[in-house]
Amino acid sequence: MRTYLRLLWTFFRVSILGELAYRASFWLQIVESLIDLGTALAFVSVVFSYTRVLNGWSADELLTLIGVYFLIGGAINMIIMPGMNRLIEQVRQGTLDYVLTRPEDAQLLVSIQQIDMWKLLDVLLGMALLVGAMLWHGSLPGPLQLLAFALTLLAGAVIIYSFVLFLATLSFWYVRMENILVIFESMYEAGRWPVDIYPGWLRAILTFVVPVAFAVTVPAEALTARLTWLVLAGTLLLAALALLASRLFWRFAIRYYSGASA
Amino acid sequence: MTAVAAVNVVHLRKVYRVYEREAGLGAALRALFQRQMQEIVGVDDLTFTIEPGEIIGFLGPNGAGKTTTLKMLAGLLYPSAGEVRVLGYIPWRRERAFLRQIALVMGQRQQLIWDIPVIDSFELNRAIYRIPPAQYRRMLDELADLLELAPLLHKPVRNLSLGERMKCEIAGSLLHRPQVLFLDEPTIGLDIVMQRRIRDFIREYNRRTGATVLLTSHYMADVEALCRRVILIHHGTMLFDGDLTRLVERFSPYKTIVVRLEEPADLRPYGEVLSQSEDQITLRVPKSAVARATARLLTDLPVLDLSVEDPPIETVIEQIFTQEEVV
Repeated sequence: MRTYLRLLWTFFRVSILGELAYRASFWLQIVESLIDLGTALAFVSVVFSYTRVLNGWSADELLTLIGVYFLIGGAINMIIMPGMNRLIEQVRQGTLDYVLTRPEDAQLLVSIQQIDMWKLLDVLLGMALLVGAMLWHGSLPGPLQLLAFALTLLAGAVIIYSFVLFLATLSFWYVRMENILVIFESMYEAGRWPVDIYPGWLRAILTFVVPVAFAVTVPAEALTARLTWLVLAGTLLLAALALLASRLFWRFAIRYYSGASA
Repeated sequence: MTAVAAVNVVHLRKVYRVYEREAGLGAALRALFQRQMQEIVGVDDLTFTIEPGEIIGFLGPNGAGKTTTLKMLAGLLYPSAGEVRVLGYIPWRRERAFLRQIALVMGQRQQLIWDIPVIDSFELNRAIYRIPPAQYRRMLDELADLLELAPLLHKPVRNLSLGERMKCEIAGSLLHRPQVLFLDEPTIGLDIVMQRRIRDFIREYNRRTGATVLLTSHYMADVEALCRRVILIHHGTMLFDGDLTRLVERFSPYKTIVVRLEEPADLRPYGEVLSQSEDQITLRVPKSAVARATARLLTDLPVLDLSVEDPPIETVIEQIFTQEEVV
């Protein structure tokens, strides 16, 4: 485990160096994050100027949800997406061969190979929003709630990771997959609102097709004392299954790659 | 301990399945629903053994199956039939103990990270291969010294010339001191000077570490300079496996006679005149006729100097491949 952390750290360090080569992207990221945040907050304030409760969510609870949205979204865009985009590129250019000749698990390598550290800003913003929402609400969540929050947050990240890995792995068969990751990114934006405000069919899609519900709504539910034991257990189980399934699919894809590609 | 061959290949075969479709929109639409599958033989029935420390050149035109063979040896492709062992391992299992001992360098594909200094890409490899710090430092110093990398290490890869980048690519692949090197066109696109530098380096690495080197190249000069033994592949099958010098003997039915005369003369009766300068004439003569032609030249004409040579390997190989095309 320690060697893996060291490996992750080395990748992180190298990515920071790569990013520092382009200082402008730091400022761009600040602007982008602030615009995202501003839009999210503006929508919330508009909605709550008409009503005090949105489908059972009060304003401060919705702020919690937005906090989770930024936190998880930042983490995904920081670690998962850059690596997956690069994986698609590597499949196309044939440089995945190099990854496969390394004496280290290839899935691990492609998953942590690129880190967009400026997205850390979104993670920090998300945390700040969560703290802000708690202060507004006026009470701190209990230890059990915090534990449930941590667990669901982790499970949500695992589910999204598995899902994105699955999409990126499809590039072994269909070479043009960047677009599908863009589709994922825009679907993720739907996570800014609790999924139960959406009509049934869309809620189903956001839960089981593009699992945004698990990444954002469920952890927010945990923090706002809405989570049932059933949902918690289901989320953890689903995370385990998703990780296993994506792992199996990855190995199947690698076998295909070794068997058929030129 | 019994000596394990570096590479052992028996009846190796690789068949690709590719989906084919005819030209045109109609065919493209039909292919959405029903795809025509076709099998293409990439490599067929290769058998050879390579001893530790050998430098082997794989020769063959584009699409001959050189890269496919190399990839099967490096564990990137599953063989369709036959057996492969590298250092006693079955490559496609990609066991860590195996991968730690090999390196693959593809001249056309880059592995260093574009935006960061070379040394940081090396650092990444150090972490992945878990090279102990002392060994890493020693190897880095050695490589930097041999390839004159010192001024390059702290530059971002994007600021390097193609040749400089290639030197760094090679160095980066050798930090873990691999025992078997697969070099696929390592000198492609480089100028003559840089080609020679890379060549000298490969020879030196082989000498110092006793590593086995498998090399493909389009440049005959690479192969001539480095490899005593070559394997000739064409249409996926092996045409020749042996000494470079024997290749010429075996495949070229001709020898070249270079003659210098005191005064110009017509040499056409003695053989096919390939070139003629003021006092030097080059003749192509069938092997069986060389002795007779030489004797006649020496008795008939005022010969200052005469030498019998093999034709250049490049020409011989070109002949082999074009002849095969016709057959």
